Amino acid sequence: MVSFTKDQIADIIRKVGDGTSPEALESAVKNVLAKLQSEGLSAPASQGGKLDASSYPLGIKRKDLVKSATGLGLDDITIEKVIAGDIQFDDIKTRPETLAYQNEIAKSVNRPNLANNLARAGEMTRIPDARLLEMYNFLRPYRATKQEMISMAEELEEKYQAPACAKLVREAADVYEKNNRLKGDR
Amino acid sequence: MKLTEEMLRQIITEVVGQMAGGAAAPASAAAVDTDKPLDFIEKGPAQAGSNPKEVVIAVPPGFGTTPTKTIIDIPHSVVLAEVAAGIEEEGLTARFVRNYQTADVAFLAHSAAQLSGSGVGIGILSRGTSVIHQKDLAPLQNLELFPQAPLVEAETFRAIGKNAAKYAKGENPNPVPVKNDPMARPRYQGLAALLHNKEVQFLDPQKKILEVVQG
Amino acid sequence: MQKRQKRFEVLEQRAVNKDGFIKEWDEVGLVAMDSPYDPKPGLKIENGKVVEMDGIPCAEFDMIDTFIANHCIDVNVAAEAMAIDSLEFAKKLVDINVSGAEIKRLVPGLTPAKILDVLKKMNVVELMMAMQKLRCRKTPANQAHITNVKDTPALLAADAAEGSYRGFQELETTVGIARYAPMNAIALLIGGQVGCRGTLTQCAVEEAMELQMGMKGLTAYAETVSVYGTDQVFVDGDDTPWSKAFLASAYASRGIKMRFTSGTGSEVQMGYANKKSMLYLEIKCIMITKGAGVQGLQNGSISCIGVPGAVPGGIRAVLAENVATVLLDLEVASGNDQTFTHSPIRNTARMLMQFLPGTDYVFSGYSGVPNYDNMFAGSTHDSDDFDDMLVLQRDLQCDMALRPVTEEQIIAVRNKAARAMQAVFQEVGFPAITDEEVEAATYAHGSKDMPDRNQPEDLRAIEEFLKSGKTGLDIVRALHKHGFQDVAESVLGMLKQKVSGDYLHTSAIVDENFNVKSAINDRNDYMGPGTGYRLEGERWELLKNIPQAISPEDI
Repeated sequence: MVSFTKDQIADIIRKVGDGTSPEALESAVKNVLAKLQSEGLSAPASQGGKLDASSYPLGIKRKDLVKSATGLGLDDITIEKVIAGDIQFDDIKTRPETLAYQNEIAKSVNRPNLANNLARAGEMTRIPDARLLEMYNFLRPYRATKQEMISMAEELEEKYQAPACAKLVREAADVYEKNNRLKGDR
Repeated sequence: MKLTEEMLRQIITEVVGQMAGGAAAPASAAAVDTDKPLDFIEKGPAQAGSNPKEVVIAVPPGFGTTPTKTIIDIPHSVVLAEVAAGIEEEGLTARFVRNYQTADVAFLAHSAAQLSGSGVGIGILSRGTSVIHQKDLAPLQNLELFPQAPLVEAETFRAIGKNAAKYAKGENPNPVPVKNDPMARPRYQGLAALLHNKEVQFLDPQKKILEVVQG
Repeated sequence: MQKRQKRFEVLEQRAVNKDGFIKEWDEVGLVAMDSPYDPKPGLKIENGKVVEMDGIPCAEFDMIDTFIANHCIDVNVAAEAMAIDSLEFAKKLVDINVSGAEIKRLVPGLTPAKILDVLKKMNVVELMMAMQKLRCRKTPANQAHITNVKDTPALLAADAAEGSYRGFQELETTVGIARYAPMNAIALLIGGQVGCRGTLTQCAVEEAMELQMGMKGLTAYAETVSVYGTDQVFVDGDDTPWSKAFLASAYASRGIKMRFTSGTGSEVQMGYANKKSMLYLEIKCIMITKGAGVQGLQNGSISCIGVPGAVPGGIRAVLAENVATVLLDLEVASGNDQTFTHSPIRNTARMLMQFLPGTDYVFSGYSGVPNYDNMFAGSTHDSDDFDDMLVLQRDLQCDMALRPVTEEQIIAVRNKAARAMQAVFQEVGFPAITDEEVEAATYAHGSKDMPDRNQPEDLRAIEEFLKSGKTGLDIVRALHKHGFQDVAESVLGMLKQKVSGDYLHTSAIVDENFNVKSAINDRNDYMGPGTGYRLEGERWELLKNIPQAISPEDI
C-alpha cells in the first residue's frame, strides 16, 4: 500500500472533483509516486522488506525514513529555522508513512493490537484537528443516530481514505444500537 | 470520623432493606434535627427556562430523604438555603430540579445548566460533592468543581451559589478558593462508596427530571 | 466498659485507626478479588468468532463484553491457553525457566474470568515475582505529580524542574480550576525540560481538552483517558470502548504517546459494579486497553484506592491488577499516587509491592509537591519524603529512579525554571509573573509561600491564548528570545519526538539525550538471578552517595 501526504491527497481529490479526466488523474498519481520513490519515501512494502525491531528507534537508526508532514527530516528541524519563522507548527507534525513504519515494527514484536491502533492513526493524520475532535465527540454515548454514525463512516472512507477508522465506527454503530447508546436513547 | 461497626451495620441494613423493596424504616429511631427529611414537593417534568436571571440546581433522587445531610452532617435543607441565598445576593433566582436519571455530579450539573435560562447550573450530590456548570461545556468539563465532599462546608455552598449567579450575569468572578485535604480519602472514601451505592438505588429513568419546590 | 485497658487507649489513637475500614459486601461489589458472583472461566469459539465468554452467550454481551471479544481475545491461541489449568498457569508466571515472551504468547487467549482465576492462586510475593519478570521495560522509571492548590504558574514550573532533576521521567499536572489547564501544561513543559532534558509532561483534564493541548504541542503525552469495567460506569464517564479506541488513535495520529487509566474500586465507587469483584472488573478494563491497541495503562486503583484499601485483601488485589496489566504486555504506571491511609507503615507496605519488583513507573504520581498542594487529592508519598526514598533505594539496593541532590542544585534549577516561565509569560501575553513570585517559587516549600495572583485575569488570558492558535513553537521562540536557548532547544526536542513516533511504542521514555528507551530497545529479559535490571555499576555508585552519609576520611 502506498501512502500519500495530506497535500498530495488533497491535490488528487481536488483534481477528481474538478472533473479532471482519468488520464490526468492517473498522471497526477504517477507523478506523486515517482516523486515519493525518488525521495526514497515509498511505502515500506514496496521496498521488499518490512521493518522490525532492528530498525528501532527510527529517529536514530533509520533517520533516512523519518520525515515530517511537510517532508522535513529531523536534522532539518533546527532552532535557527524556528526562530527565523521558516518552520511552522504544521511542519513538525507526524505523517502517515512514519506511522506505517512504526506499525510494521509493532507487528514484528508481536503487538498486533498496537499495530492496528497505529494503522488507524496513520489514516487520521489526514483529518484536520477540529474535525477529528468533532468525530471523537460524536462517538461518545448518546451523541449520534445510527444513520449519522454511518454517514461519518462514509466520510472517513471517502474523504479521508480511512477504512480502518470507518470499520471501527460502523462496528460502534451496531453496538450502540443494540445497547441503546444512540442519540435519544437516554 | 471513625466508622464503627454499628454505623456500618445500620447503613447496610437500611440499604439491604430498601433493595428488598421493604418499606424503609426511618433512618434513625433517635432522630435529631439533621435527620429531618427535606420537604420537597415534585411539580412534574422540569422545563427548559427562558429567564436569563435564574440558576438551576439539580439534586439526585435520594437528596433530602435518604440521606438528609452531607458527609460532614450539613442538613440538606441548609445546603439548599445557602446556595439559594448566594444566588439571591446577586439578584438572581434559584430553581430546583430533582434528576432521577443520574447520580453522577458532572452530568447532574450539566443537566441543570441545560435547563437553566441563564445557561448556568449547579449539581449537588447528597454527600456534598458539587459542580458549577455551563450549558456549552462538555459534560465532564466545568466552571468550578468541588470534588472533596468532606471539605464542602455551609459557607462553601453559599459561595457556590454566589459565583454561579455571577457567571450567569456574564461576570468573571474569583473562583471559590480551592481546598484540598489529602487525608479525606483514607477517612471517607469507603463511606462515600457506600453512600453512593445507596444514592443510585433511587434512580428511576422513567421519571426523568422533575421540578421541585420546598414545602 | 468503664475501665479502659491502657494499651487499647494508645492503640485507638494510632494513625491507622483514623482510616476507614469496611466489611465485604458482595451484592454491590465491595469485595476485592473473590466474589461469589464473579463468573466461572469459559470460552466457546465458532468459525473464528467468540460465541460465549465466561458463561455469557454473545447474544447477551454488553458493550464491554463485545469489545473484548472482538478486539482483545486472540482466537488462534485461545483453545491452547484456556486448556491450561489455572494453577499451572500461575506457576508459569513465577517460574524463571518460562520466559515472559512465552507467557505473553498465551495470555491473549484468556478470558477475564480466567485471568482472575490465575491471579487468585498467587500470594503477594509471587505476584511481585511475576511483575519483575513480565513488566515490559527493563529499566524501571518513575512519575511525579506537580500541582498546587493556587494553580500558581511560577511554582508549578519550579516544582517541575525539581521533579525532573531528581529523576522523574514523567511529570503530570492537573488543575484546581479546570480552565487553568493550558497554563499548567506550559509550566510543566518548561520546568520539566529545565530540570532534565527529555522529561515527558502531561496535564490531566477532560478528554477533549486534553487532546487539544496535545495537538498544540503543550503536552508530550496523555494518561488520564479513563476506562471502566461496567457499561453504566463507562457511559457515566461519557465514553464507550469505541470512542476511547478512536481517541487513542487520534493521539497517535498526532504523534502523542498515551496510556489509559483505570483502577479497582471505580465501578463500585460510582455505584454500578454489577455485583462483581473489583479485580474482575479491572481485568476487563485492562483488556479494553489492550483491545484498543493502547500501549499502556495507569492502574493500581488510582483515585479509588480508599475503596480496595478499606476491604480485606484489597492491596493484594491492587498489586494483582498491575500484574494483569504487564501480563497483557502493556506498559504499567503502577499507582501509589493517592493517599489511602493515615498510617506511614501501611503506606510504605503498599508501595513496596511495586518498588521491590520494579515497574515501568513505580509511582504514577509521586507527589513532587507537599501533599497539601497535591490536586489529585494527595499521593502516598510527597516531597517531604524524598530523603526517605533515597535511603530506601540505598538500603535495599533497589531503584525507583530517584537520585541524590544538593540544595544548591535544586535552588538553581527552580530559579531557572521560574525565570524561564516569567519570560514566556511576557511573550505569549499572560499576566506577568513578578520578580517576587520568581523568588518565592525558588525557595518555596509549597503554595503557602506564594503570593496570590489575580485569577480572573489569568483565566481571561488563558481563554485568549486558546483562541490565538499559539502552539509549542511559540514557547520555543519565547524562550529563545529571552536567553533560554538550551531550554528552547529541549522544548523543540520534545516536539520533534512526535515526528519520529518512536515513543509511541510500549513503555517508552526519553532520556536526557533525547534517545527513546522502550520495551523494544530496552526489553525486559528477566529470567532469574543475574538477568534483568540490576542496580549496579555507575548508577549504584550514584545512589550510594547520599549527602548525609559520613565518609571515613572525614573523621
